[in-house]
Amino acid sequence: MSTVVQEPAMADKGLKGGTLGLVAVIVIGVASTAPGYSLAASIGFVTDEVGVKAPFIMLFAFVPMACIAASFFYMNKADPDCGTNFTWGVRAFGPKAGWIAGWGCIVADLVIMPNLAGISGQYMVLLFSESAADNIYLTTSIGILFIVAMTWICWKGIELSARSQVLLLGTELVVLAIFAVIALAKSFGDGVTETVGDVTYQSVTPSLSWMSPTGLSSSGIIAGLVLAVFIYWGWDTCVSVNEESKDSSKTPGRAAVLSTLILLAIYLIVSYGAVSLLGPAFVTDNADEAIYQLGKVALPTWMVKLLVIAVLTSAAASCQTTILPATRTMLSMGSHGAAPAKLARIDRKRLTPDFSTWLFGAGSVLWYLMLVVVSNNTETDAYSASIAAVGMAIAVYYGLSGVSCIVYYRRHLTTSIKNFVLMGVLPGFGGTVLIYVFCKTVWDARNADYGYGTLFGVGTVLVIGTLLLLLGVPLMLWCSMKYPTFFSYAPDPPDTVPDPYGEDTLAAPLGTYTKGGRRGG
Amino acid sequence: MAADIIVGIGPDGSGDHAAEHAVTLARALGSTVVLVFGYDLSTLGPRGGPLEEQLEAVADEVSTAVRERLIRANPDVAIDVELVRDRAVDSLMRAAEARGASMIVVGHGGAGPLRAALLGSTTYEIIHRSTIPVLVVPDPEESADA
Repeated sequence: MSTVVQEPAMADKGLKGGTLGLVAVIVIGVASTAPGYSLAASIGFVTDEVGVKAPFIMLFAFVPMACIAASFFYMNKADPDCGTNFTWGVRAFGPKAGWIAGWGCIVADLVIMPNLAGISGQYMVLLFSESAADNIYLTTSIGILFIVAMTWICWKGIELSARSQVLLLGTELVVLAIFAVIALAKSFGDGVTETVGDVTYQSVTPSLSWMSPTGLSSSGIIAGLVLAVFIYWGWDTCVSVNEESKDSSKTPGRAAVLSTLILLAIYLIVSYGAVSLLGPAFVTDNADEAIYQLGKVALPTWMVKLLVIAVLTSAAASCQTTILPATRTMLSMGSHGAAPAKLARIDRKRLTPDFSTWLFGAGSVLWYLMLVVVSNNTETDAYSASIAAVGMAIAVYYGLSGVSCIVYYRRHLTTSIKNFVLMGVLPGFGGTVLIYVFCKTVWDARNADYGYGTLFGVGTVLVIGTLLLLLGVPLMLWCSMKYPTFFSYAPDPPDTVPDPYGEDTLAAPLGTYTKGGRRGG
Repeated sequence: MAADIIVGIGPDGSGDHAAEHAVTLARALGSTVVLVFGYDLSTLGPRGGPLEEQLEAVADEVSTAVRERLIRANPDVAIDVELVRDRAVDSLMRAAEARGASMIVVGHGGAGPLRAALLGSTTYEIIHRSTIPVLVVPDPEESADA
């Protein structure tokens, strides 16, 4: 009897590499970042903060996110664990910090779910009737169904075939590009006017200065950034997934560069088109459904429907890239003994973590309902605040990831200039910017006038952005009493950290080093 | 001795029926049956570490169980197992190439062309991509829900 475990060849890695090559790898990169949904969810709020400078913020937010991608890349070399930040946090700082980093990742994913569900509910209804889109019961019910359906898809392990993904993403990008080109053509040409009630909006001629920060206050930039980091969320993970193999051909690297350029280009032209078509005030006043309302002005009806469908499919893709990382972090935490072992349970027929997936789905529905109830019964727009709140969660856990890369590889930073820049300067810069964005947002959002109303007397964003994060502390302490073995782990000693360019880049298994010294094996 | 016969099996019992046919053929031809269990994870999230270890354990357990069941009923046929961390179709193609196999046997759970186009179907894809003969064995009616 022979049982052979074959390692996959690089060409087969990622999405159907053997059949589609470069295009397919680009598709994962762009589709998992979900440009259509990201724009629909954020452009209104970003414009609210920075007006015509939205294109600048959209581009600028990429800088810290790209820097953090370097830390993902290197930490992934030492330990390509599905728990990502959780595992890396344990290795760099120890079990408590690692636990909180994992929690931060789960929280960020949970916080965005209501927004995903809400946008899907709203756009689904917009497809059929504009007036019904204001019916909160209808959109909420569809939103809940959407979460349940996406949870089911993740539990079932269903994934679209490569061709369907190319088709969907292709439609999404083409429709967005056509929208942007028509909007820009109108703004550069005679311009359009639109009167809603007693307000008249009109086109603004686009200017290159929209790409520069001149005239923005630092608070404005930070407020814009905390919203805009969200649009690049997911991009970095696909970079590290694509690069994870050793004998990679040129495809993954080229694909990462190309998918990044496509993303940047689409965010840039769409934000230009959106802000110029009827001026920034229109975008802000229709923040909840800005892309749809603008699409109606710029495009023929059938294409507006396509735009709505593009946002919907994009939201579905984004939902998958939200649920999967969250449940895989839970699985890793359960499996390493940092949390109940049940979280690591795998459905034997579908090969997916079933308990984690349904738990996350149920948590999302509860959290969504809570936000809808709060938003509906108070002056608070808790639901819209979730983009800024998720920005805070992303900033804190990505920030930690940047810092953990420097701490973890501290002995390797000074061995070459390349190491110093890629493992030190970039993650350090990205991490510092993001942690600063987090702290500044906490400080600014404590005021009741930060926007989106107030909860318990402080800004809603602060409450939503930190409530769940803080809940992690008692949970972590509870786990530390229940799972003493995991909490006796020590950070990896710096002299045991492998050279990322050496023969073997993998670190010793998690739990090799404990506070009492090295354990056998 | 005749070249090997490759059979694709999955965690949901898909391919069990195909494996039985392959064993019958192998007895007649004097071939070895190779049960190929391909497993891959969605790239829409991080996938290493414990997730992979657990999948490997499931893959090992499932394929060993299938192998033992077949051997009990057919002690005269040689049956090997290969676990391949790859998409189902690529796993089959790679195992077939590595072993210089003469045939690939797969089950067919009744996925229609639309479903196959949207989600992909191992059966449809292997028919188009394989360079060696492919035998498609329809699953019995009662388990055709896939």
